[in-house]
Amino acid sequence: MNVPDISIYYFGAIALVLIGLYAALVKKNLLKILIGLSIMETGVNLLLISIGYVSGKSAPILSEGVGPTQAVDPIPQALVLTAIVIGVATTAMALSAVVLIYEKYRTLNVEEIRRLRG
Amino acid sequence: MNGQYASLLIALPLISAFFVPLIKELGRKAVMGYLVMITALQTAIAGWVANEVYSTGKPIIVIAGGWKPPVGINLYIGHFAALFVLIIAVISFFMAIFSFRAVNVEPVDKYAMLFLLLMLGATGMIATGDIFNLFVFMEITAISAYALTAYNKTGEAAEASMKYIVLGGIGSSFFLIGVALIYGATGTLNMAHLAQLAGAIDPTVAQVGLALIIFGLAVEAELFPLNAWAPDAYQAAPHPITVMFSAFVVKAGLYAIGRLLYLFQGAEGWSGLLRLLVILATLTVIVAELSALRQKDAKRMIAYSSIGQVGMIAFALALGTQAGVSAGVFHMVNHAIVKALLFLTVGYVGVALGGTAIENFQGLGKRMPLTALTITIGSLATVGIPLFNIFWSKIRILLAGVEAGYSWSVALILGASVVEAVYYFRLVHTMWFVEGGGRIRENFAIGVIAIFLAALIIVIGVYPNDVWTIVQKAGQDLFNVANYIKNVPLMGVGA
Repeated sequence: MNVPDISIYYFGAIALVLIGLYAALVKKNLLKILIGLSIMETGVNLLLISIGYVSGKSAPILSEGVGPTQAVDPIPQALVLTAIVIGVATTAMALSAVVLIYEKYRTLNVEEIRRLRG
Repeated sequence: MNGQYASLLIALPLISAFFVPLIKELGRKAVMGYLVMITALQTAIAGWVANEVYSTGKPIIVIAGGWKPPVGINLYIGHFAALFVLIIAVISFFMAIFSFRAVNVEPVDKYAMLFLLLMLGATGMIATGDIFNLFVFMEITAISAYALTAYNKTGEAAEASMKYIVLGGIGSSFFLIGVALIYGATGTLNMAHLAQLAGAIDPTVAQVGLALIIFGLAVEAELFPLNAWAPDAYQAAPHPITVMFSAFVVKAGLYAIGRLLYLFQGAEGWSGLLRLLVILATLTVIVAELSALRQKDAKRMIAYSSIGQVGMIAFALALGTQAGVSAGVFHMVNHAIVKALLFLTVGYVGVALGGTAIENFQGLGKRMPLTALTITIGSLATVGIPLFNIFWSKIRILLAGVEAGYSWSVALILGASVVEAVYYFRLVHTMWFVEGGGRIRENFAIGVIAIFLAALIIVIGVYPNDVWTIVQKAGQDLFNVANYIKNVPLMGVGA
């Protein structure tokens, strides 16, 4: 098969996104749902990084022997840094909500957490 | 004065939010007073910016750090952004006053911080000219909204917040995939630059990328089927926060959808996306109005009604015509006023009588006459009775819909409006014609705000033309992308 090198990163990233989406939509345990969301975020970050990747080039840090022409695209890397920070904040926020839910409902099963209806 | 001062719109709430812990020691009153002061200041800045933009007729472009776009990130405060930044600031100011009475759960310093960050996020979403910056502001809005939804610390609040987090997380991931695809195809994140290059993108990439971005934004914009979180969050959040959600957080999401949609109008296969969005919007209206009919809680009922109205705005924005976009913007303004009034007064009833279940509204006409009167005005306006403001925007949306060839959608939306009339008249009937308890003294400040909003509804209803000229300019700002590109000084690109 004649698949270009870079494709494998794309397929891997999309696979991670789909695995995460599956976990977030199908699992019943809140913690597993959150793990799914985290996996999804990782997949997206990997996708962003691979879009800026140029085979054989080095990290975009200006140092001796590495000029602008020898480095990969730095913008996606900056985006991913931001996205990772946002992801950490969301996960922390979600986990504190989970703590609160467990205190009030004594369960993490989404089918039993259903007081709001209609 | 220099237009670059418009960046204070972002800087002021951000820095003020981080000063809140310093005045925490002075007690609850000081924190709430601080909140009122900062929002008043923000209103003044927003008023100055709006005046500047509308009197010169030119948008203010804020260039961060002296790096010209597309290298640097710019803010684009055109007619639309100027108008909505002002609406955001005014509503936040009113809600800061309302919070004095409505928010008693500690810690109020955290509340004040999140309140300012929510205002900041929505302002940024509307003002930014960079697609990744839009993502960052969307996340600021979303994370503060998650926290504020759970603020009351009841089981229901945590549950609503959790639903919001899961849907919001999925939405933001999809948005980011869309951004990745578009960036991969064009190599830029600047909106004006993207619009220039839109025609040259591979049609499949453009369609999939834009669809993913719209899908991600649809969580914030409460479009079916991604709005399952909204009624729960509206019901469980503190009352002032519900007003902010309905009045401008959802508008920021809608604006982002509209803006990105029209930026890509040069791309092939664009009209297919429009049709998809029209279908989603129509479904949003119908599902929301039918769900509202069987609610036992007034706040939740109005939340569903709000989602229905939002669907109508999305429908107008997705028509792809100048008339549709202008009508949609008009409806955004009217909806912000009416829903601010309704959630404010219903929330006030909830504070005064200990809940927002419909039984609490029995005989409200005698118990709290002023509140009942303003709720009635808001209800009649939402239903779309002539001489109230929503009548004008609703009829313009429907006419634009027929003109654009979506008669079936218009018929369905009209049918849903009848349903809406049923449950609002039921609420009005409960307030005026059912016996209730004794008289309750009403709060002066909240009464003044409610009367002001109600007066605004009637003034716009009687004299719609002045506001119509303003929103037409805002609509053109959204629709006329060629102008948008021309206004942003792109460095070393094109001409």
